Amino acid sequence: MTILSHRDYRAGELYDAEVVVVGTGAGGAVVGAELAEAGRDVLFLEEGGYHPTSSFNPYLAESLPRLYRDAGGTIIMGRPPIPYAEGRCVGGGTVVNGGMTWRPPEEVLTEWATMTGQPDLGAKAMEPLFDRVEERIHAKPQHPSSVGEDSRLLEEGARRLGWRYEHNHRAQDRCVGSNQCLTGCPTGAKQSTLLSYMPRALSNGARCLTEVRAHRLWIERGRCVGVFGKGVNPRTREEDIDVRVRAKAVVVSCGAVQTPFLLLGHRLGRPSGQLGKNFLCHPNAKVLATYPSDLYAWQGVSQGGQIREFRDEGILLAENAVPPGTVGAQMPFLGEEALDLMKRYNAMAMTGVLVEDSHAGRVTRSFGAPMAKYTITRYDHDRFLRGVRHLAALHFEMGADKVILPFSNFHAANSVDDLAQIERSQRSRSTIELFTVHMMGTCRMGSTPRESVVDLSGALWDLPGCYVADASLFPTAVGVNPQLTIMALATLVAQRLRLPN
Amino acid sequence: MLPSEVLQRHPDDGWTLAAPMNVGARTRRVLLRLADAILPPRPRTETTLEDVTEHALVCLRYMPSSTGLLFLLGMHLLNWSPLWRLRGLRPLTALPTDAARRHLASLTRSRWLPVRLLMMGPLGLFMSSYFDQDYVHRELDYDPGPFVAERIELRRRWVEGQEPGTEDEIHHLPVRAP
Repeated sequence: MTILSHRDYRAGELYDAEVVVVGTGAGGAVVGAELAEAGRDVLFLEEGGYHPTSSFNPYLAESLPRLYRDAGGTIIMGRPPIPYAEGRCVGGGTVVNGGMTWRPPEEVLTEWATMTGQPDLGAKAMEPLFDRVEERIHAKPQHPSSVGEDSRLLEEGARRLGWRYEHNHRAQDRCVGSNQCLTGCPTGAKQSTLLSYMPRALSNGARCLTEVRAHRLWIERGRCVGVFGKGVNPRTREEDIDVRVRAKAVVVSCGAVQTPFLLLGHRLGRPSGQLGKNFLCHPNAKVLATYPSDLYAWQGVSQGGQIREFRDEGILLAENAVPPGTVGAQMPFLGEEALDLMKRYNAMAMTGVLVEDSHAGRVTRSFGAPMAKYTITRYDHDRFLRGVRHLAALHFEMGADKVILPFSNFHAANSVDDLAQIERSQRSRSTIELFTVHMMGTCRMGSTPRESVVDLSGALWDLPGCYVADASLFPTAVGVNPQLTIMALATLVAQRLRLPN
Repeated sequence: MLPSEVLQRHPDDGWTLAAPMNVGARTRRVLLRLADAILPPRPRTETTLEDVTEHALVCLRYMPSSTGLLFLLGMHLLNWSPLWRLRGLRPLTALPTDAARRHLASLTRSRWLPVRLLMMGPLGLFMSSYFDQDYVHRELDYDPGPFVAERIELRRRWVEGQEPGTEDEIHHLPVRAP
C-alpha cells in the first residue's frame, strides 16, 4: 500500500501513471478504484492527509483542521451567506458526512435522460450502477441497537402528525450508533471511501500522494497529460515543493467548488460558458428544540431517518445531532446566554429542514481562491419558512419547551402559538440562517458542447484527456443526499474512460 | 488496542498540526478582547482566552491566505464597530467586557447582513473551540469518551459474531404511550 506525504517528496520529482485522479472522496476514490481493479496504473493526488480510523476522536477542535477544508471556515456568498463544509483528507467528504445513501428520485433521472437525450442516465439504465455501489458500501438500514432517542422522537412525531417517515439507508457495516460521523467514525462502521473504495484501489496497485494541492493541469498540444501540484508543508501550510504527475488521463474529482476552480484557471468550458455555473447547494436550516428531560441525542446514529411527507415540495426534515462545539458556533448567543442554552445540550434535539434548489448560483475564481455565490429565491424562502414551521410544530407536539429558530431576528419560540409570527417576521431572505454540505453542479454533463461542460463519459468537451467525476457533473439538483449519485456517476465515468494508445 | 487508547485528543498518527498564524501584538489584543466578550465568563481556566485565540490562529493557517487576511481585517473592523455604529468613540479593546459583549450581541441581531456576517467568523472559531474543552464538557454534563469506547467495543464483539441485543439499545426516555 503506497501512501506518501509531504516528507516523502523530493524537489523536481516526477511521477508517472496511466491515470491520475485528483481527490479521494465519493467521486475520486470510486473512479480510481474501478480503474485500478480493471488493471490500470492509478495515482491519486489528495490535498489533505491520511487519517486512519484509529486516529478519529470525538473532539471538534482536533478534527476541523485535520479533516475539513479550511478548518471548516468556508462560506458561500449571497443572500443569505451560507457556511458550508467539505472534507479535506483521504476519503474526502465521505469521512465527515452522515453516510446517507438515497437514490435520486426517478423523476430526476428521467429529467436527466430527457435533458441530455441519453437514456443511459435514466432510472432503469442507472440501476446496475446504483446496485454495484450499494453493495460495495454496504448501503443498509440501521440495526435497532444503533438508533437513538432523537431519531425515535422524530419518527414518533411524524406518526402523530400523520407524516411519512422513512428510515435511512446508510453506508455502514454493523454501525452501532456512536454518532461521530462528523469527526470521523471511530468504530470503522461507516463505509467512507477511506474504508471501502480506497483500500480496493490501493490493494490493486494504486498509489496515493497526500498533502499535495493540484494547481494546474499539464497540457501539451491541446491534450491534458498530467497535473502540476505543490506539496503542502503540514507545519507551515506553505506550498513549498513541486509535485508533477504525468498521465495518459486526468480525472478531476475535487468537488463542486474546487473542480471548477481548477478548470477555470485554464479558461476551459468556453463552448457552453457553463463551467462554474449551475451551482446547487441543497441548503438546510437548523431547528433546535429543548425538551424537559434529557434525550442524549449525541448517542445513537446520526440521522436514523427522514420525514419525507413534503418531498414533492422539495422539503425534507431530519434530525442530525452534532457536537457542542458545532451548536455553540451556530448559535446567535454570546456569554452567559450561550452557556445557559448549552447547559441544555443533553436535552436538545437537533433537526433541520433541507430544501431542494429551485435555481443555481455560480463558482468563480477570486484572489486565488474559489468564490461560490448563491442566493435563495422567494420560492425557496417560502419553503424554508414552511419547513421550519412544520418541524417546530412537531417538536411542540412532542413536548418541547423551547425551539431555537434559524432566524437572526426571531431566535426562539416558546409555544406553538409563537410560530404564527414566522411568516410575519420573515419577509427578508437575508434573516434566515442556512448551512450546507451538499454542493453540486458547476460542470454539468450533457450531450452537446453548447449546453454542457463534459460529455456523458465525464470528458471535458474542450480538453481531451481530462475527465470530471464528482458532484459537479449533476445536470440538475437531486433533492436528496448526493453521495450515492456521485458514486454511481463516478462508476459510469470509470467504465467509459478511454486511454489513448 | 483498547478503546480508551484510540480516543486520544492528540492522536499519534504522525500528522502535524500547523503552527498558529503569526500576528502582531495589536491584532492579538483584539482577538483576545473579542474572545473574552464572546465566550461565557465561566467556566474558564487561566489560559482559556489564549487557548481559543491560538486555536483560531491555527485554523486560519488552513485557509487561503486571502481569507485569513480578510478575517483579521474583519476583526479590526469589529474592534472599531462602536465607532462606525455611532455607539461611542472607543474600540472594544478599551471597553469593559460586559459593555463589549452587549455591543457584539447587538451586532448578531443587526438588521444589516454584512454586520451579522462580520460576527460569523469569531463566533464560529471561538465558540467551536471553547465548547470542545473538557472543563466545558463537564459543565454541560457531556462526556462522549466512555460512550464511544463502549460502542467501539460493541462493534468489535459484533464483528466477531456476537450481534447486539435489546440490552445494547440506546434508551433514555420512558417508552411513550401509543
